[in-house]
Amino acid sequence: MANLFSSFKSAMYKNYGENPGKMLVHTGVLGWILSAMAQVSAVVFNDKISKEQKSFLIPQEMADAAINIISFYVITSSFKNLASKLVSTGKLSTVKIRNHIKSKLANPTDYIGKLGTNIEKDFPEIKGDYKAFKNGVDVVASTVGSIISCNIVTPVLRNQYAAQKQKEAIARMHSNDSKHEINSPNKVSMDSYIKLASMKAPSGNLKI
Amino acid sequence: MALYGIKSFILDAPLYRSAMNSMRSIKQKGLDILPNAQFSNEKFLNYLGNIGKNFSSDKQRLALGVTALVTQPFIDAHNKSVDEKTRKVSVARTVAKIIAGTLTGFLIRYGCIKSLKAFSQIPGKGIPKYKSIFTPKGIIDNTTDAFEQYRNAMGTIIALGVMLFTNFLIDAPLTKFLTNTFVKHQEMEDKK
Repeated sequence: MANLFSSFKSAMYKNYGENPGKMLVHTGVLGWILSAMAQVSAVVFNDKISKEQKSFLIPQEMADAAINIISFYVITSSFKNLASKLVSTGKLSTVKIRNHIKSKLANPTDYIGKLGTNIEKDFPEIKGDYKAFKNGVDVVASTVGSIISCNIVTPVLRNQYAAQKQKEAIARMHSNDSKHEINSPNKVSMDSYIKLASMKAPSGNLKI
Repeated sequence: MALYGIKSFILDAPLYRSAMNSMRSIKQKGLDILPNAQFSNEKFLNYLGNIGKNFSSDKQRLALGVTALVTQPFIDAHNKSVDEKTRKVSVARTVAKIIAGTLTGFLIRYGCIKSLKAFSQIPGKGIPKYKSIFTPKGIIDNTTDAFEQYRNAMGTIIALGVMLFTNFLIDAPLTKFLTNTFVKHQEMEDKK
């Protein structure tokens, strides 16, 4: 157990010690996963919620969780990776770094902006300036990505998903007016569907 | 061994190589489209450097919460797929959820990251063992940038564990209380 904890600490230091942007993306994803787990287990272990209601709520919570986690990871890591690539290839740079490259290479235009370029590896003598700039850009890109995913893309997707579910239920209600029963495998009655839908906020999980 | 053989077979296949070359060419073209940019303003570069060094997950959570207050209620208020009453309650709940989540999310992250400093000292004379419980093996300097980033990451992981409980103990009841307050206020405004 002590060894496991020691390895965990070393892995954390090795992975995130010099990469704050990556840390923000990974802890953000972990935050969403734990939020979703907490939300789903709150339904699973709640005795006041009937088995029928659980069969409706659990898939809903899981779909919400999937939207939250996937959109956060895809958008935030894309922003971070693009920013990292721009900095590592010299597309986005500081005058000091650019001048240093120009002074060392006969033809810098063949080097700057090429996919295989890696300034950190090729010019270790300017590592300090390069790292400070790269970490700053990574953190800004991760934060902008997380704001766009959490505050714009996810709420829009979630509202669309909730609206689609509502429309499906209404369509089923009209086609089964006499029975007032949804012909889904879960057999949730329309009355309980409406009650449950009103209990559930369209804006999704609580973000921790 | 067999897996290595399969991997080599795939990597050496002309189809795979051609697909990879095409992908690389597309990526390079994408990179070429973007203009080169370079920054010279020392003040701005120092500010950017400080962000990279000091911007931890607590500040990110605060930034998310503040911007959420601008965008999310607007999105919910313009959600045409629900009726007006549902829309109003949804906006109230969203605002309540953002306030509760940001308050607890920021404070707990901040507290855990700060507390971790006390428990990640370098082992030595006069330092009790518990004060270096979070110090990774082999570390002899805890004043480097890399160690600060490690403290931020480890503090965030601990904060996430704490928030699994506070999510129910603080966030959920606070969200409910704030939602009811906002809805009541909204109803009183509508009656006027």
